[in-house]
Parts: sequence; structure tokens; C-alpha cells
Amino acid sequence: MLDVFSYVKACSLVGAGLAIGLGAIGSAIGEGLTAGKANETLSYRPELAGEILKTMLVGQAVAESAAIFALVVAMLMFFTNPVGKPLLAAWAFLGSGLGMGLSAIGSGIGSGFVSATACEGIGRQPAAKSAINSLMLIGASITQSTAIYGFLVSLMLLFIGFPESADISRSFALLGAGLSTGFGGIGPGIGEGLTGSFAVTAVARNPEQVSKVTRTMLVGQAIAESTGIYALIVALLLIMVV
Amino acid sequence: MEISGPDFIKGLAFLGAGLAMGLGAIGPGVGEGFAAGKACEAVGRKPEEAGLLTRTMLVGQAVSESTGIYALVVALLLLFVV
Repeated sequence: MLDVFSYVKACSLVGAGLAIGLGAIGSAIGEGLTAGKANETLSYRPELAGEILKTMLVGQAVAESAAIFALVVAMLMFFTNPVGKPLLAAWAFLGSGLGMGLSAIGSGIGSGFVSATACEGIGRQPAAKSAINSLMLIGASITQSTAIYGFLVSLMLLFIGFPESADISRSFALLGAGLSTGFGGIGPGIGEGLTGSFAVTAVARNPEQVSKVTRTMLVGQAIAESTGIYALIVALLLIMVV
Repeated sequence: MEISGPDFIKGLAFLGAGLAMGLGAIGPGVGEGFAAGKACEAVGRKPEEAGLLTRTMLVGQAVSESTGIYALVVALLLLFVV
């Protein structure tokens, strides 16, 4: 007969696997895109090797952060000691792994788009490299926001206290919270990355217009973020209210 | 653990709420981001039209947002009405 402890422990291990397994997808794709574009640009402008390498590494570091959040959540779940945790915690662990893992996919891919075009832009317009680099950092950091929502919801699911016995509906609500922030983070992450990527290209083409382009980028990204915020609200309602 | 029918239905409605909002948020996010990106490109090319471009971008994004709002409405219905 399966006791509560083994059940919760098993689910925490599955959750750890889901968090880092899904969470690694996006960052790796994004970093690969960046490295690919950097290589392509270097084949035209080998004399810019130092500049492009620097931009590539900074961009990849930002894209990596989503996977690092996922790694932290996976480690927390792996080393957690579920003695005395109620059955509900098992579902919370699954929701936490899904929430973190899925939400990291969009942020990783999105920030990869931004840094890939930044490498390309520096190859095209080396004089504008400081404007391109700072716009890349702003754009790529904004794509990370949905991974941060996923991180927040997973930590809540990991550390919140649960009642000893609860209806089965509460279990599904916790799983649903993870799925909501997780899937909800994919779209805004990729979309904000596309915005940042076009903005970086525009600045590389026309560096004098950096302030107007940055403004349009921020307004557009804020609106692309809205569905991520709805998903966060639904997840918080599922955890706290129902 | 005893599972009652209404409780099970409620539970799956909660799961459905999470899936509805989560999956429903993917499309508007990508679409609005793409619209904003193209607007940035256009502002870079024709900065004097920035006002018109931002307005068009916002109208386009509002339309693209609609499916996200449908998902939110369905998720809230599943949460509080079912």
C-alpha cells in the first residue's frame, strides 16, 4: 500500500524532472539562435570578432537565466524532505514543476531572438554598438518576466502550507495553477522577444532613432505581457481563492 | 480517499481553467509581440510617423488581445460559476 510520504516524494521527483526538463528547452534554443547568428555575422565581418563575441555571451547569459530558475526549482524539489506533508503537496509539486518548466520555454526562446539580432546589428552597424547592446539588454530582460512569474508561482506551490485533508478539487486547482502560468508564459516570452528583435534591427539600421524605437518597443512589450499577467492572476486565484 | 462526483467535476473545472488561460495566453502573446516588433521596425524607418504607427499598433494588438480575454472569461467562469 502506497503511503502519503512515498506518494509526495515520488511526485516531487517527477516535478523536479518536469521543471528542468521542460525549462531547458527554451534557453537552449534561444542561445543556439544567438550563436548561429553570431557565426553568420562573423563570416561577413571577421574583424568584429571581439565585439560580437561579447554581445553573444551577454545575450546568452540573459537567455540562460530562465533555465537557471528552472534548475533552482528542480534542486529545491529534489532535496525537499516531504515528511509530514499532506497529500495535497504531491499535486503542488507537479504543478510547480510544470509551471516553472513551461514558462521558461518562452522566455528562453524570446531572449534568444533579441540577442541574435543584436549580433547581426553590430555586424551591420558597429558604430551603434552601445545603443544596440543596451536595447538588447532591456528587450531581453523584459522577455524574462514571464519566467519570473513561473518562478514565483512554483515557489509559492513549494512552500505554501496545505491542510491535512482537502477535496480532490483543490488538488486539480494546484495542478491547474502550474499549467496556467506555465503555458501562459510561453506566448508573451516569444512575442516580447520578437518585438525586441525587430527593435534592435531598427536601431541598427537607424541609430539616431533609438529613443523613439525604445518607446514603441516598451509599449508593445507591455501589451504583449498582458496575457501573461492574466495567466498569473488565474494561477493565484487557483492557489489562494478556490 | 473518498471522491464525490460534484467534487471531481469541480476539480476538473479548475484544471480546465488553468489550461484555458495558459494555452489561451500563447497566441495573443506571440501575435502582439510580432505586431509591436513590426511597429518598431517601421518607427525606425519612418520616425516622423511614430504617432500613427503606435496608434495602428495599439488597435491591432487590441484585436489580437481579444482571444486572450475570451480565455480569461472562460477561465473565470470555470473557476467561479461551475
